[in-house]
Amino acid sequence: MSERVRNGAFVAAMAVMAVALTLLVSTRPADVDRVEEIGSRIKCPVCQGESIANSPSPMAEDMMDLVSDRVAAGVSDQDIVDELLGSYTGAVLLDPPASGTTLVLWLAPMAALVLGVAVILWWQRHPGAGSEQAPLPVERSRTRLVIGGVILLFAFAGIVVVASNSLQDRPTAAAGAAALDGQDLSEVSNETMEAVVAANADDPQVNGMRLALAERYFDTGDYRSAFPHYLVVAEDPDATTAEAITALVRLGWMAFDGNGEVETATRLIDEALAIDPRSTVALYVRARVRWCGAGEVDEAIATFESLLADPGLDRETKTRIESDIELARDGGECP
Amino acid sequence: MLAFLGSAGVIAALIGSVLLVLRGARLARGGEADLKAPASLVLAGALVAMAAMQIALLSDDFSLAYVANHHSATTPFPFDVATAWAALEGSIVLWGLVLAFFTWVVVRRQGGASDRLGAGAVAVMGGVAIFFFGLMITVANPFEVCVDALEVGCAGSSAWPFAAVDAPANGPGPNPLLQNHFLMAVHPPVLYVGYVGLTVPFAYAIGALALGKPGPDWLRRSHRSTLVAWSFLTLGIGLGGWWAYEVLSWGGYWAWDPVENASLMPWLAATAFLHSGLVQRRREMLQAWNFVLVISAFALTILGTFLTRSGTINSVHSFTQSAIGPALLGFLVLVLVGSFTLFAMRSHLVSSSPRIESFVSREGTFLVNNLLLTVYAFVVLIGTTYPLLLEAFTGTQVGVGEPFFNRLAVPLSFMLLLAMGFGPITPWRGAGAGLLWRRLRVPTLVALAAGLLVAATVTRVGWVILAIVLGVFVMGVVVGLLFELAGARASKSGRPVLTEARAVIGNDQPFWAGQVSHIGVVLVAIGIAFAANLPLHAEVELAPADSVEFAGYTLVYEAPFRRDEPNRVVEGARVGVSRNGVRVSTLEPRANFYPGVTGGIITPAVMTRPGGDLYLTLRSLEDETIELGLDTSPMIWLVWLGGLTTATGGFWSLSTRRRQREVQPEPVLADV
Amino acid sequence: MTGRVLRWTGLGVVAATVVLAVVLASRFGSDPGLVDSPLLGQPAPAFDLPGLDGTEGVALSQLRGDVVVVNFFASWCPECREEHDDLVATSESFADRDVTFVQIGYQEDAAESLAYLDEAGRSAATIYLADPGSRTAIAYGVFGIPETFFIDPQGEVVGKIIGEANALILGATIDAIIAGERPGQQITGDTQQAPDT
Repeated sequence: MSERVRNGAFVAAMAVMAVALTLLVSTRPADVDRVEEIGSRIKCPVCQGESIANSPSPMAEDMMDLVSDRVAAGVSDQDIVDELLGSYTGAVLLDPPASGTTLVLWLAPMAALVLGVAVILWWQRHPGAGSEQAPLPVERSRTRLVIGGVILLFAFAGIVVVASNSLQDRPTAAAGAAALDGQDLSEVSNETMEAVVAANADDPQVNGMRLALAERYFDTGDYRSAFPHYLVVAEDPDATTAEAITALVRLGWMAFDGNGEVETATRLIDEALAIDPRSTVALYVRARVRWCGAGEVDEAIATFESLLADPGLDRETKTRIESDIELARDGGECP
Repeated sequence: MLAFLGSAGVIAALIGSVLLVLRGARLARGGEADLKAPASLVLAGALVAMAAMQIALLSDDFSLAYVANHHSATTPFPFDVATAWAALEGSIVLWGLVLAFFTWVVVRRQGGASDRLGAGAVAVMGGVAIFFFGLMITVANPFEVCVDALEVGCAGSSAWPFAAVDAPANGPGPNPLLQNHFLMAVHPPVLYVGYVGLTVPFAYAIGALALGKPGPDWLRRSHRSTLVAWSFLTLGIGLGGWWAYEVLSWGGYWAWDPVENASLMPWLAATAFLHSGLVQRRREMLQAWNFVLVISAFALTILGTFLTRSGTINSVHSFTQSAIGPALLGFLVLVLVGSFTLFAMRSHLVSSSPRIESFVSREGTFLVNNLLLTVYAFVVLIGTTYPLLLEAFTGTQVGVGEPFFNRLAVPLSFMLLLAMGFGPITPWRGAGAGLLWRRLRVPTLVALAAGLLVAATVTRVGWVILAIVLGVFVMGVVVGLLFELAGARASKSGRPVLTEARAVIGNDQPFWAGQVSHIGVVLVAIGIAFAANLPLHAEVELAPADSVEFAGYTLVYEAPFRRDEPNRVVEGARVGVSRNGVRVSTLEPRANFYPGVTGGIITPAVMTRPGGDLYLTLRSLEDETIELGLDTSPMIWLVWLGGLTTATGGFWSLSTRRRQREVQPEPVLADV
Repeated sequence: MTGRVLRWTGLGVVAATVVLAVVLASRFGSDPGLVDSPLLGQPAPAFDLPGLDGTEGVALSQLRGDVVVVNFFASWCPECREEHDDLVATSESFADRDVTFVQIGYQEDAAESLAYLDEAGRSAATIYLADPGSRTAIAYGVFGIPETFFIDPQGEVVGKIIGEANALILGATIDAIIAGERPGQQITGDTQQAPDT
């Protein structure tokens, strides 16, 4: 058999087989499970990076059920995804949409390929200058290396410093706006809060943070530091009732517990009661102060008992009041 | 005591590294210096540090804060050994040790006062070592002493080894996910050899650039280290996939998770570098590519460490958020800025390499290969880092997951498969169409026939058929080439073809080792195509004695069980598996409960058969009723076999005897 | 000439690296897991859920005109236990000021939630609902618990607390809404995503 005929036979065989294959092969798998397909594009919000189709967690199952229902109801794929997007955010998508900020993710790979081909072709057309250029004299290049090295060290140090600063200062840097918009207060230091509060002294919205700071001091027994903050809140006409009451009651307690000033304490708490005569915490603290400071046991017991009648009382407070009543009845010293 | 020992080891290694930098630089400039002593100091220091850590772990010494926070007296062997690299600070010790070994090897190969390139490489290795040992003394100190103990674990620690110790009685033990499988002990060290090994070619490259001496020398000298690193990296990625499959409860072996991507990116760059380096060693071309590739590969290992250790991205693997982030980022910037500045300064030397004469040649296919692998690495890079950058710039959050990566990775992988078929049979310099046709026609026919066979008998899914066709094509090309060359020799020498085949392989072992790796990749591709496109899935609820039919098996839920082990309680279900009435296996999908950890860690039960795996996951166990996830992974064993084969090719290439290496092998016949 | 091109390419890489690095560096210190709710400023997703104890439930539309505080909770969530007392107390103290508290069980059997409430205590002014199939949790985009949503009398979501709430924050937020303000989203701490984590 001549070469030509043999080649022809090969080509014919290949063509036949290729055609047969393309006919046999299904480009779409038999059943496109719409639910699975949509599910594979949604990230399970309570898992780490898995799709709701793949994740075994119950929340993912519930979400898949939702997708099933919507598919059965004839809702389009995009609408189902949009519904979930409206509840969560873009972070719940596993496949970035081909628009807006993520368009670049779709374009960049193709662009890279095209750029790469262009570079290769260009490179072919422009042969290098050859090695006729003598290498730079050693001394000059060494100086450059040293200078370059120094610049590098500065860059290194700069990056490290910037990053470390971000680690610490992030709250402060954004403190003005962030504190009022909601920040993870539990990680913010006292000093930072002081700074924020001082910086926003005129803004009544900072009272929340001010109170939180004061509470911290109060909890550690640092009445001196807590005092000025409570005072500001108590005297602020724009403070909310809850804030004002809390501040006044705390001031009263500190006056009694810190300085033994029973009458001052009573007066302060009465101011709180003027705002809200039924404030549980004000009534309770007043009763305690009168009992421990002025020995008015019976009035205290009466107040405690009326407090117990409040249905909205939480169990911890209830237990405390009950034990106080017992102690008071036994004629005991106030705790 | 151990804290002091460990810290002393680290400091010794640090001192040695500084000496290596200074002396290496001096040698490179033409002076004289002894490098062996500092290198030994670095190695000794690193060994002492690791030894101190291991002794502390094995002897339950909770005075070390690291041990107090990550080890538990009940952790069984070998997981207590592996606790050394279960968390951030300890894993840096491992990195330092591997780096010390590689540095020592580079120093040993340094050829005295006249070898300035080697000296430069040593200096760079020393610089990298300074960074890592420096980390161990500052932000990631594994030898801090616990000064404020909790009941379990340590609340405060001090870097001063002689501080007043307040050691807890016990520690919480390593993350339960890391105690589930023996692979935890093996996978990180293997991976780290891969990562750290890439420092060596990087060091030689920087040395060559700094000394103004590009050319094939730096490549030749670092080639074996590159092969070692690449082989271990391949093995490490394969092991990681296998571990994920066996341990994590969704039967997935690759989720395009940021940490997995962090290991894939340097692998892609290193693969491109291995291939492209071949061209430079042979024909002194693609110099600029090689510098860029090796710098990128090394930078990607640092980026990978940064991404997984700094808490910047949340993923299954991110167990830590600490101040190491800024340090790693700074070092990464230093590496990139320094290397590319050097590259820019020496660009006139690099640009003068000869150009490719014809694209239809071995060099041409390597160039295409470079392009494909680089684009692949770029795709993985932007997919992994873009959400991060976008949120940093604009505050909006986007998710980039499997669909994105698969959409790009699948076509790229198929193109690479195709290239694997063309590359080996295309001669250097240029190829005649006739030669290529002669070498391609039979493999193409066989491949199409194989595709038809599978389509007719097993499945018609397009992706699977495509993988089969391309895979058989590549294998056919390799086998065809071998027999063509062996046949040509046999007809001249009269010896049997098989003997000549052995001679052909022996004459150019690195080439054929590479073909073994290609076949490994083919197997992986076919395995993935099957497992990804043809799995079966079901969710069932069973009471004891219930049975269910699935994938041709009968599964009978026999009974629940509970086992008390020293470090955990195991609860699960015993399921009998039969086929056609014959009992085949007993599977125990289970959940492991560790003290102090709410909820159980689910361990699936896997039964492996030639056709694929049966995979049972326990969803819940209540009052003896179980919810079970049933999955099949068809042909998944091909993926593991393929991964092993790919790495084997690399190791086999390493075993080429020295005499063979020095002889320039004959270019594959450029025929008429 | 190609030498020059290579040079500029190299320097270009350097410049891009530094810019990106500075950007990445500024990301430190911020938790990558936080998400802003797209519901703020939108009409609150409707729900019509049964009571936890199986009694007749309540639809959101029935509460139009009140400030509605919707809190998602479960017994396996320690922060939910921490905030529970404050939720009860605040619910009581705002009971006659057109503020209604609704607590919805999340990813849990109604029986378990009920047992938890029996132990932890209830407020007479709070409505306790079950969420079969987590449809409401999904509609509200709950990433983890505790999460508390605030709906103004016109039916719009104007506030959200991610993490453990306390009496101060609750009171302050409700007062702000009564005064016609839009407090927005506040993060007070961690949330828990599932019983296992």
